[in-house]
Amino acid sequence: MAEARALSRSGVVGQGAKEFLRAHTIDLAGGLLFLLFAIFIGWPIFTVLVKSVYGSEGFTPEFYRKFFTAYFYRSFLNTLFLGALTTFVCITAGFCIAFITTRGPHFLRIPLKWITLLPLIAPPYIFALSLIILFGRNGLITEALNLRWDIFGFPGCVIAQTLAFIPLAYLMIENTLSSLDPSLEDSAANLGASEGKVLRSIIIPLLTPSFLKAILIVYVMAVAEFGNVAILCGRTPFLAPDIYTIITGVEHDFNMAGVLSMFLILPCAIIFIIQNYIIKGKGYVTVSGKPVSTEPRPISPHILIPMIVISFITCGIILLSFGVVGLGAFTKIVGFNNTFTLDHILNWRANDALINSLEVSLLAGLFGAIMGVLIAYAVIRGKFRGLTSLEGLYLAGFALPGTVLGIGYVFAFNNPPLLLTGTMAILVLSCVFRFVAVGMEAGITKLQQLSIEVEEASTNLGASTITTFRRIVLPIIFPAALYGFIYVFMTTMVSLSAVIFLTSPGYPLASVFIFQWANYGYIGLASATVAKLIVIVGICIAIIQYMSKWTGLSITRRG
Amino acid sequence: MHDERKLMLVLDDIHKSFGEVEAVRGVSADIKEGELITFLGPSGCGKTTLLRIISGLSTPDSGKIILDGQVINDITPEKRGIQMCFQNYALFPHLTVAGNIRYGPEVQKWQKNRIEERFEEMLHLVRLDGLGDRRIDELSGGQQQRVALARALALEPKVLLLDEPLSNLDANLRVQMRDMLREIQSRVNITTVFVTHDQVEAMTISDRLIIMKEGLVEQVGPPVEIYDKPNNEFIASFIGYVNILKGEVKSISKDSKSAIFSTELGDLEILTSEKDIKVGWRVYLIIRPETLVIGSPEETIDINMVKGTIRSIMYAGSTVKYVADIEGKDLIIDQYDPATQGMSEMGDKVTVTIPRNVHVLKE
Repeated sequence: MAEARALSRSGVVGQGAKEFLRAHTIDLAGGLLFLLFAIFIGWPIFTVLVKSVYGSEGFTPEFYRKFFTAYFYRSFLNTLFLGALTTFVCITAGFCIAFITTRGPHFLRIPLKWITLLPLIAPPYIFALSLIILFGRNGLITEALNLRWDIFGFPGCVIAQTLAFIPLAYLMIENTLSSLDPSLEDSAANLGASEGKVLRSIIIPLLTPSFLKAILIVYVMAVAEFGNVAILCGRTPFLAPDIYTIITGVEHDFNMAGVLSMFLILPCAIIFIIQNYIIKGKGYVTVSGKPVSTEPRPISPHILIPMIVISFITCGIILLSFGVVGLGAFTKIVGFNNTFTLDHILNWRANDALINSLEVSLLAGLFGAIMGVLIAYAVIRGKFRGLTSLEGLYLAGFALPGTVLGIGYVFAFNNPPLLLTGTMAILVLSCVFRFVAVGMEAGITKLQQLSIEVEEASTNLGASTITTFRRIVLPIIFPAALYGFIYVFMTTMVSLSAVIFLTSPGYPLASVFIFQWANYGYIGLASATVAKLIVIVGICIAIIQYMSKWTGLSITRRG
Repeated sequence: MHDERKLMLVLDDIHKSFGEVEAVRGVSADIKEGELITFLGPSGCGKTTLLRIISGLSTPDSGKIILDGQVINDITPEKRGIQMCFQNYALFPHLTVAGNIRYGPEVQKWQKNRIEERFEEMLHLVRLDGLGDRRIDELSGGQQQRVALARALALEPKVLLLDEPLSNLDANLRVQMRDMLREIQSRVNITTVFVTHDQVEAMTISDRLIIMKEGLVEQVGPPVEIYDKPNNEFIASFIGYVNILKGEVKSISKDSKSAIFSTELGDLEILTSEKDIKVGWRVYLIIRPETLVIGSPEETIDINMVKGTIRSIMYAGSTVKYVADIEGKDLIIDQYDPATQGMSEMGDKVTVTIPRNVHVLKE
């Protein structure tokens, strides 16, 4: 009798649990996503923070005190200044090019646009490579013009970072510029304003929101991106390469690395807060607008010519960079021995690393896409209000400098229960959690377009939450998932900042090899591998652009 | 005529608030099997909230929902046997017509033959034969409407809920679809709750109306009753055009069958069935435009005849709507078949005769 009662009680409990699960499926999934965030983003950053204040003798402000000595403090200031200078040049050049491609002579518009966007299909550190080939100690131009100056140090870093991130600045400014109502400018001109006056009093003020957005994004990228700065810094200290050296070099100083990381996060965190809570920008995904067709208004040469000159110089350098890297890929030693060779392209170690990169990228893409969709669904459809903060959390993860997350993973996953260092898993995980926000935003955009009544109709007809998700939501949200997959895939292929700390000898990656070869002077191999990465990423972008009519989203990139 | 039909759906004192806002403030209703009843009222009166409560998509704060004798408050939407058609149809955009209609039976794991049979039946019922393979975005608004209806009826629900189903259609299509909806509803004999703010729609399609305002029920009854005998000023002016005259009982006839009311337009003799009527009562006279008779100023002045001037004309083909200024008070008058009867012109002096049988509301 008692047994029967006990059995029936457990039956009731079982039934109750089932009902609870069914009613709260989305909320439970959201809870899991919070947990994953805490483990794979929260915890690693926390360990970095701890390392910055906890030494062998317990809690101490010693390491922060050490930071404010000449060297490290200079590194910090250099980094901030690098960001500022890069941003200034990027925005200026980006604006000039955007102006020409929207209001300049028609025959220039398409070529300039395509060349400006070219850096998007290459890893950001392609420019470090090209600048070495051109202006390195034995660079083509250095030799040709007998220059006593080489590219290492501040100038090289600024030029390389500018070239890498000009497409972003350009896209954001061009998007707004092309959708400005042309009648505003026309009426100003009609009222007697000169071209310069129209520019100063109408165009630039109206562009302010997009300028602001561009400034924030370019600044963060310039400060946080590792490759170009690490290769070209020479003897000038910057935070990202310093973090690398201080860990991998003789010092092995994890505590100072922690402190430097905290200071690297600082500008990124400030900008993230400004962007997402003060000016309410939509994170890092740019929506490309439809260009408004206009009769090209005659623009005075005073304005047109300087802009064309700046545009030409910028695009010229971009083309030159791609050209010399292409040259480097197929010549024995570019500058010295220009015989054609396929050795670099066929190098087995390089191809081996490329295959590893492909594996990691495919896995990261897959998990990134699935997670992105799940987070989007939990944020938009979860009943528990707190779930909307998931979006902010994962966007914050996206804003974190890769370097900091990289060393965070080294600190956090070096011990059981999660001993992941040296495995492929740690590479995949770091990339998934860094880049998932893009797929998530795409998913959120798509879900916002889907009336909730469609899902209610499905529930009304008898489908469970899971069935509704599987049969109704997933097919509709699929383009966003695909977009997320491709984005995570292509960014992981070229990403360097985090994986530089997580790679192991048994599992080399293409981006890490390129970095090492560029540093050691194996330009040919580095160029060849970059060329192959460009082809792969180029195909991905082509697919995204083709798909852009479904998703309404365009491309942006992180290192 | 005594209605033998059983009660299919009963709402018992339903309350629902959203934060500070009380959307539904104690609504009760008895709905019979096979009846088409309409919740009618201005935006924000609580009618859509009520519909969502009936469907189970929203939970009431208090009150019972009883379906076919069983309290269904705790039953999840999909198990209630009630199907809803949403205002914007909520069709599954990535499925075809067939995919949409078959969805419910598939998800409820009906047998394959039965699903197919039911699908063909539904397609035929809504007159979309042969269009099963069409994608939703290839259909017109009216066709999408019909797919939504077919999808809801496919599961053989006991009650059908329609949330402003015609509001997204243009005027001509709306009339067509209205007729079709009514025809399908009668043929299938399904208990239907209709929600709309369009009173013409409600009047033409419904067996009974439930007029709602600010979360409360104002009046329940067949369209004729609501139109001819509204319970209050709000209902009178919400349904159709109306002239409302304030008045006071001046004197009562010996047989108590009529009374003289002093009004803004002078003294009027009105029939009354009110047994307790007393002199001095303040009232509203509810006068519908089509009951007023317009005449020329040469006519002999009779009781209930007033004089005025035409100040506005709205010609609508089969009818013409005049607004006449009667010593400062506007009267709206509908005249039928103006082509034969002859039309007045702006500024014309006219007489207007008020009928003796108008609805009287005590203040």
